[in-house]
This record gives sequence, C-alpha cells and structure tokens, in this order.
Amino acid sequence: MSQPYAIELKGITKAFGSVVANKNISLNVKQGEILALLGENGSGKTTLMNMLSGIYKPDSGEIFVEGKPVSINSPEDSKRLGIGMVHQHFKLVDVFSAADNIWIGREKAGLRLKKNRFALVEEMIQRFGFDLDPAKKVYNMSVSEKQTLEIIKVLSYGAKTIILDEPTAVLTVQEIDKLFGVLRRMKAEGHSIIIITHKLNEVMDISDRVAILRKGEYITTVDTRETNEQELTEWMVGRKVDLNIDRPVMEKTRPLLELRDVTIRNDEGALAIDGVNFYIRGGEILGVAGIAGCGQKELCEAIAGLRPIEKGQMIHKGDNIVGLPPKAIHEKGISMSFIPEDRLGMGLAPSLSITDNMLLKNYADTKGPFVNRKQGRADAENVIQELDVVTPSTETPVRRLSGGNVQKVLLGREIKAGPNVIVTAYPVRGLDINSSYAIYNILNRQKQAGVGILFVGEDLDVMMALCDKIMVLCHGRLMGVVHAHKTTKEELGLMMTGALDLTDKYEDKPAGIAKDTRFGEKEGEEEA
Amino acid sequence: MHIHIVKRDKLPLWKKCCFYLAAVLAALVLGGVVLLSIGVNPLEYYTRMFTMGTMGNPIAYRVFENYLKDFVPLVLTSVALSLAFKMRFWNIGGEGQFIMGAISAAFVALKLGPSLPNAVTLLLMCLAAMVVAGLYGLLVAALKVRFGTNETLLTLMLNYVALYVLIFLGETKADWNFFLREDSVRPVFASFSDWVKFPAFSLGGRFTLNICVILTVVVGLLVYLYLKKTKQGYEIAVVGDSAGTARYAGMKVNRIVLRTVFLSACLIGLAAAFKVGTAGILSTAITNDVGWTGIIVAWLAQLNTVAIFLVAALICVLHNGSVAAAATFSRVDSSFANMLQGAILFLVLAADFFIRFRVVITKKGGRDNG
Amino acid sequence: MDKLAVLTAFLHSIVVYNIPLLYGTVGEITVEKSGSLNLGVEGIMAAGAIFGYIFGCYANSLLVGILAGFAAGALCGLLFALLTVTLQANQNITGLTLTTFGLGLYFFVGNSLKASGWPVMNDFANIKEGFADLSIPLLSDIPLLGKGLFSHNILVYLGIVIAIGMWWYLNKTSLGLRLRAVGENPAAADSVGINVNRSKYLHICLGCGIMGIGGYYMGLNMGGSFNSSCWINGYGWIAVALVIFANWNTALAIVGTFVFGFFNTLRVSGSSLAAAFPGALGWLASIPTQLYQALPFIITAIVLIITSIRNKRGSSGLPAALGLNYYREDR
Repeated sequence: MSQPYAIELKGITKAFGSVVANKNISLNVKQGEILALLGENGSGKTTLMNMLSGIYKPDSGEIFVEGKPVSINSPEDSKRLGIGMVHQHFKLVDVFSAADNIWIGREKAGLRLKKNRFALVEEMIQRFGFDLDPAKKVYNMSVSEKQTLEIIKVLSYGAKTIILDEPTAVLTVQEIDKLFGVLRRMKAEGHSIIIITHKLNEVMDISDRVAILRKGEYITTVDTRETNEQELTEWMVGRKVDLNIDRPVMEKTRPLLELRDVTIRNDEGALAIDGVNFYIRGGEILGVAGIAGCGQKELCEAIAGLRPIEKGQMIHKGDNIVGLPPKAIHEKGISMSFIPEDRLGMGLAPSLSITDNMLLKNYADTKGPFVNRKQGRADAENVIQELDVVTPSTETPVRRLSGGNVQKVLLGREIKAGPNVIVTAYPVRGLDINSSYAIYNILNRQKQAGVGILFVGEDLDVMMALCDKIMVLCHGRLMGVVHAHKTTKEELGLMMTGALDLTDKYEDKPAGIAKDTRFGEKEGEEEA
Repeated sequence: MHIHIVKRDKLPLWKKCCFYLAAVLAALVLGGVVLLSIGVNPLEYYTRMFTMGTMGNPIAYRVFENYLKDFVPLVLTSVALSLAFKMRFWNIGGEGQFIMGAISAAFVALKLGPSLPNAVTLLLMCLAAMVVAGLYGLLVAALKVRFGTNETLLTLMLNYVALYVLIFLGETKADWNFFLREDSVRPVFASFSDWVKFPAFSLGGRFTLNICVILTVVVGLLVYLYLKKTKQGYEIAVVGDSAGTARYAGMKVNRIVLRTVFLSACLIGLAAAFKVGTAGILSTAITNDVGWTGIIVAWLAQLNTVAIFLVAALICVLHNGSVAAAATFSRVDSSFANMLQGAILFLVLAADFFIRFRVVITKKGGRDNG
Repeated sequence: MDKLAVLTAFLHSIVVYNIPLLYGTVGEITVEKSGSLNLGVEGIMAAGAIFGYIFGCYANSLLVGILAGFAAGALCGLLFALLTVTLQANQNITGLTLTTFGLGLYFFVGNSLKASGWPVMNDFANIKEGFADLSIPLLSDIPLLGKGLFSHNILVYLGIVIAIGMWWYLNKTSLGLRLRAVGENPAAADSVGINVNRSKYLHICLGCGIMGIGGYYMGLNMGGSFNSSCWINGYGWIAVALVIFANWNTALAIVGTFVFGFFNTLRVSGSSLAAAFPGALGWLASIPTQLYQALPFIITAIVLIITSIRNKRGSSGLPAALGLNYYREDR
C-alpha cells in the first residue's frame, strides 16, 4: 500500500452567512512535498487552511490526517494532529520574549518557569538551523524575525505539516530566498508544506504541486514541472486574460507636483523619508516601489498634509504647499487614497452609508450647520453608475460591500472631485484580477485626462506594465527613478534592498529632479 | 455533538424586539420565583410595581410628578453619555460630572439666588452647572487626546474625587461653608427652594408638568437632530467609526473629541441643574446613581436617542414601582428592584448575543482526534 | 495614652482595616490578567460578604464562611464569564450591572434575614475565636512593630499569602505565563493551543472568589452588624484603583494596600495621633477626613496620567487586550 496522504480534504464546504467561502473542496498533500495553494484573493485559500488550523469549522466534509478521519474543533486539536500554521498576521505576544512565545504552547513545560527555558529554546533554534535571540522581545523584532519566530514556534510543537499564509508578502527578495531555503530544508527533513500565495513566480520556484482555487471552488491540482505560468493563470482566473495592462502614451506636461529634499519622520520620531526628490507630470503614472515600511505611507500622508514635512519643499504648479492643512491641499486638487492592510481603516468609514462616505471630504463646503445629504446621494448614484459598483442602494453601509466595490467607491469619490494629482497607495490590494483591471482602467482614464498619478504598489509586474516611471525607495531614501518599460525586476529588487543606487546614474541630472522644473518659479517672478 | 456559534446577518427589528421582550419576561419570571419563595404573590406585586402604586391612589398625580423628577436627570444623562459613547469615548464619569454640575448650580442658587429674579437665577444655574461639568469632562478628554490616558479608568477615579468634594461640603461646619444651614448645629445642606424653583404648569387637573420635562424632551430632540442632520453630528459618526478616516478627511479629530466630550459633560451638568433646581437643596445622594444607570441605559438603547427615552422610562418605573410596592409588601425589600434590574440586564445582554450570533449544533463529526 | 501604644494601634489598624482591599485587588488583578475588565468588584465583594457571613454563622465555622464567601464570589464571576466570554457582552456594562445586582442581593438577603432573625457574630464562638488575633512567635515581641504588624487574625495572613502566591503563579509558572498571554493577545494564545475560554473562565472565577473572601472579611471586621450602609462601603472601587496603582502586580498590591491603608487609617485615627503628638502631628486634626477618602482615587488618577505620559513600552502591566472580548472567528 502506498503512503497515506499527510492531509486529505474531502468535500469541504464553509459558508459565512449567505457567502459561501468554500464549496465542496477536495484536495490532498503528500508527505514530504511542498504544495502551493494558488488562487486570487477571496478565492477561499485562507478560509480553507483555517479549517485545518482549527480557527473555523467546516459546515460539511471530511478531513483525514495520515489516512485517519479527524475532527478539528480548535487550534489545540490541530496542534495535536501535527498541523502548524504561520498566519499572515502574526499571532505573537508583543511584550513577551521569543522564548516565552514558544513556551506558552509547550506541552510539558512544567509548573515552574525556569530560567533555562532560554537555553532550551536557543538550542532548538540552532537545531532547526535558524538565528534568533531567544531573549529578544517581539516588539523589538523586524518583520522577518517575527516570521522566523512563527516558523520556529510551529516546528517546536512537532508539526509535521506546516501551512504558511502568504509568507512572502512582507519580505524582501533576499529574505524570500532565505525563507525558501528553509522550506526546502524542512521538506528534506520530511515535513509536508502548504504555502498559500498568489504570486506565480514563487509557485514555480518552490512548489512540487499546485492546487488551484477559484471563487471558493476547487479547480485542479497539477505537478509544477508540467505546467507554466500562463496555464496557472488561466486556471486561477477562469478565462484567458490579457496579461498586458494598457499604458497609453501621453504628451509630457511640465511637472505638476515636485518634492525637493523632503524629510519626514514617522510616528516613533525616526526618519521615514530622508531627503527625497521626485516629480510628477500631468498625464503620467509614477510608480513607487519598495518593501513594506520603507516610508511609502509617511510619504503619502505628508503629501496629503496629514504629516508634517520636516525639511524640504513641495511645489504644486509652482506654489510651495508645505505646511498647508489637509483641506487646503485637497482644494488645490491633490487627492490621496490609501488602502491599508485591513482595507477599511483609512479613507472610508465602514459603518456609514455610501452616501455619507461620498460626503467625507466636502461635507463642510456647504453653508449652514446641516449636512447636505441630497448632494451626497447624487454623487453616490453617479459613482455607482459610472464605476459599476454592485450595491443594493446608496444607503448601504460600505462594510457590506465586497472588496472591489469598496475600492471603487473610494476611488470614485476621489475622482469626482476632479483632482489634478492623484496619490493612490495599494488601490488593488486584495482585489481579484478583474476588479484590479477595472481600477487600472479608471487610473488610465484619469491619466489620459491629464492628471498626474503617484501609484504606490506592491506587485512589481503590475507596476512595470502600468506605470510610466518607477521610483524606488529603500529605508526612506530614494534609490533612483527608472523607466518602467526599460527596467527589469532584478534591477528593481536590487534597488529595493539598497544594493543598487541609481540616483547619480546620469552625471548631468540627479534622479528625481526635472529639467523643466517649476522650482523657484514664483520666487523668480517676484524678483523679476 | 459540537456546539458552535456563528455571526448572524442583520435581524429584522420586530424579531429583535421579541428577543428583548422575552429577556425581560424571563427576568420577571425569575423574580417571581424569588417572590413566591418568600410567600408573596408575584402577580399582585408586579401589578403594584408597574402601576407604581397609582391604582386607587387619590394622589396618583403626585406619583407621576415624582416619577418625572427621577426620569428627567436619568434620560438627560443617558442622552449625554451616548454622545461620548458614539465616539467610542468611554466616559463613565457621569457621576462625577453630575456632582460637579450640582455643586455649581447650588453655588449659584445660594450665592446669587436671593438677589436675582427666579428666571435669571435658573438660567445662571444651568450655565454654571454646564460649564463646570463640561470642564470636568474636558480635562479627561484633553489627557486622552494628548497622552492617550485610559479614559474609562480616569473618569472612574474622578467620580470619587467629586463625590468626596460633595461630602466634604456636606459635612464640614465652617463659617465659609454657605452650602450648609446656618441655624443648625449639625451639618445639614441649606435649602434654597424658597427663592429658586423651576416653574411647573398645571394641565387642567391637579397634575403639574415641570418645565424641566419639556426642556428635556426638547434637548432630546435637538440631540437627535444634531447627530442625524448636522455637520458636527456627521463628524462624530465618522470619528466613532474610524478615527483614521476622519483624520484623512481633514477633520481635526482631537478637536472633535474635545468638543463632543465637553458637550456630553455639559448636558450631564444640565441634568444636574434640573435636579438641583427641582429639589431646591443639595444632598450627598443627589446623583441618584444616574451616572451609572445612564451608562446602562445608553448601552441598552444602543445609543439611539429615541430608544434611550423608552429604556430610561422603563428603568424609572422599575425603581419607583419597587419603592411603592415595598410600602405594601413589607416582606419585599426595596432592594428587590436592583436585583430585578440586574436580572433584566443580564438577560437582555444574553438576548443581545442571540441577536448577534446564531448557535449551530453539529451532531455528526464526533470522531476521535488522532 | 501611651504614645507607643497609639503608634502601635495605628500600625495595627492600617493592616486590619485594609486587608480587604488586598483581597479585592489581588482578585481583580487575576481577572484583568485574563483580559477582562470587571467593574463589578463592589457587588461581588458584597455578595461574598453576605453569603460568607450567613453560611459561616450557620455552620459556626470560619472555614465554612471563607469557603462560602469564595463560592459566592466565584458564582458572580461565573455569571460575568458566561456573559462576557461565552455571550460576548460588553464588559463595562456587565461589570456595572454586577455591582447593582450584587448590592441588591446583599440588601435583599440581609434585610429579609433581619426581619426573621439576624445571626449575631458574638453568638458563634468558633467564628469569634477564629477571627481573633494570632501572634507570630518572636516577631510579635518586637516593640512597636510586633503588635502592629505581626499580631493579626488569620485572614490577614491568608490575604498576604494569596497575594504572594498569586505573584509567584503569574510570574514564575508556565500557567501564569499562559494566562498573561491570554490577556495580552488571545488570538496568539489560541493559536498555540491554549484554551482561551477555559483560561478566562477559570481565572475570572478564581479572582472573583478571592474578592468574595475579602467581602467576608469586611463583614467580620464590622462585627457582623447589619445596617443601612453596606459593609463594602466603596472598598471594591478602591480596589479597582489599587490595581492600577500596583501596576497589575499582586506583590506591589501589598505595598499599595498599606499606602492606601495609611491614608484610610489616618482618617479614623488622625485625631488620636494628633492628640498623642500635639507638637509634631497636631496639624493632622485639621485635615478634613474626606481628603483621606479621596486620596486613593487622586493618587491613582495621577499614576494613570503619569504612566500615560511616560508611555514606555513593556513597562506597564496593563494587559493589552484588557476589556476586549475574544471571538475566534472574527476576521
């Protein structure tokens, strides 16, 4: 008899209210293999895996571990069955040391908390081949250290099957390489690994087999060696999609927004943006690439006037607008929309209706003490119609909409104000490919209308296809501005990690400074 | 068998009401069992309680007047607290703010009352109470905004600071202490009912309607409009929903928090002024626990202004009714109301769970875990 | 009066009248460390007081009283846990309601019994003797301190033992580490296989039980005379304050109890101190008693403000998930 599957799912169904997240899914993982679980966001990957980790319970279906039927009612059950999951949002106790975070889940920890737990954990860390200080507090750790700790944690509990939920989302290219090395070693030691991702290159790189989900349904499982990215995409999306994003070529105008030697601090008072130069012309999309936390958020906030600019200048159509309040900046036609990780935290009030969300930036413009909801309702109807927002009515709370529709509402509101500069961060975060294309089209239409767009993105492939130019940030410093159609992913990756600095590539023109700058225009006029 | 809870989609209003009604009934049944066990007929007791002893009472109008005297401060405090709660500012300092308001109102009444016309004194009392109570609340909001001080715990502490200030005034016999009666050797609060009193209108019969009741309904209506229709109300909704979004929209979140908490505390001060102005005297028990009960009322009403009026009315019936019933049923202590109120609340909180969640029982899948 | 005797009596009073605070505080810390903010301390102590007292008297046994006080408190805790842990009710509201309910229960039971025959403590020899002062050999012979600090009833020693034991449990055992994990980040604790709900239930009940014993102590200390003011008399709220003052550390709670107790006792014995030392402490007589009563709350408010201004990471004992309910499937 052949070896039983490490894990086998049969006919798993899970619904949240009226939304079916997983529909009759059957798949399996062999012992000692790396299975990639591929699917777009919202395809039900995380939900499915959370039924293995004991967070959710399936409505129907069966789970087998090493051939035996099991019922997983809690993370405790899951742990006992040798299943460990590294969640996308780390589950660590911030004020505890690394060792204590491991110790809380240890089976035979003994009653007394002995000092030697640090040594024991240290030994374990070395045995697994990692490098981490067991006494380091989690709140002092970097993202990749936290991830390492999560993996050590799972291994230390004797997990035979390890599930990783989008582990590469927060890592640099180099860190991803290191992680994949670890995964290959674990596989060699006989662990079975499930890695959730929607990045095709990673799937091709690391996995033995790929299981594909689409809209909550199981599509197929294939051997990685016998497939290619094009085929996987088709399965994932369901129909052949044009992987090319439009990049209309526009006539250049003089810079609309220029930042010169700008320095910004983050909430902790550390330098978030350190002497950065760049400019945006009308009719172009400037991409901003960088690993998570390299200052993108602070930059967006500063442009919108939400964060003070410590040093440097911000020139909009020849006017210095440093120090203006957010409202004044918005009135100048600079719009900022930022989609945070939880998607609803900034830019929208999730419990309020679409109408009320439309009013967010201009509710104060009318006279008198009352809010003009008539106007809001009209705007809401417009946006719903123009951007095909799927909603029961204008009075539906935004939180009830699906991700794509939420983001359409957000962008719709920004566009309706007729801005000349759009700053948009992660506008396709968490969206499926079709919704993403809808958003790209919206942006391209604005670009064609002469608007300058700053696009802060995550996916390099998308940025290389959509943007005209890409500026790269690393730890708050500008590493250079490159033409999107000329650059390569490798080049961008090296710049993102700080290994390549192109700011002085052209001797006559430092990166980020326009030759037809509008800098000093106003002052010059005054002098003249 | 495995019990499992899942979040529900929205439940229609009538179903919600059924759940709450069932909870209240269940609490009454529980209370009935207690009553039976001490040999009291629950039906008779509850009849007496819910009619507040008005049946066959020749001075029933008095009962209503007294009922409204309790109702006004409670409902006004609850409405006020709901403003702060809407912003997720956990102001549990209603007691302290009420006391500060009450002291200020009494100060005005005692110091200026004798030399000013009634209407002016009353107006000044309300203003003084609102400003002082408002500032007492604003202090906490300022610390919260500036340093992130935990407002739940801080307002809790300040309640007691205020309470002991009041007790100090009530128990310290001294030349400067004009809050006490001069002609008494023992410390007793001085009454000012002879020269300051909120006017009441006769409505035909002997029942008189105090102007505070009308004002309270007006304030309730204004707060409702304020929250639903005005820009400031809109700001409160946005800040309460997502402070990040509010900041992003260019709202001055800190200023909105400060303004709203100040307003919330102001209205509590107004409630105190109404109370003091109606009673005509201070007392160490002047709050009648409205600062505490108000929190419960506001929460039970889910911060809905209309619902607050209903819940407050019900809670007041419970309190006044149990006192009335205790007069007839000597075996049932008036503290029975507190127990019953507790039981109702516990069961309503439980009902709330069944409104938000659904319990699913899976019968199969009882297999062993490896 | 002998000056030394006045000082000794003063020290003695600080301990004997304020140990219930320690019970309340240690109990509340135990509850809060599991991530639950329980504002029902006052009501829980009242319930523990009345049932501890009644059952203790009926059985004529101090031990039964302690157990009954604990059980009554723990049952209140069970109610709190049922509502906030299983039924996801708001903790502030549930706690406040528990205060109303507990006080209602206290007066309802007490007044009902008073009508039919209140048990008088002096009639129960075992309780009276059990609650009498026990001198620790040698230590109690130290002048001044001996009689003041080392000659107390058994519940004083028990309170100190519980506080130290709880400190050991929270900081030096694996179970305590797990409990703290639950209070800091229940999702993290859950993911490593800790049964979050069980841990919360257990510690809420345990903590509330400890509060219950504190309530029972207060009843005994009042000599068991039941009147219109509750035995607990605001001690439950002071305990909530003391938790903050002690930075969620049960060992520091002992110190805190004596600091708060010091002011509390000055309120009562300030005049006798002033009389004994007219030169040095004469001014004590002119301080209003309400200031002493308000001081614990003023000090705690100041501590709250100062810690929030300092805002140093990892230095506060405030559990990060305090007051938040945990629902595993929340997304």
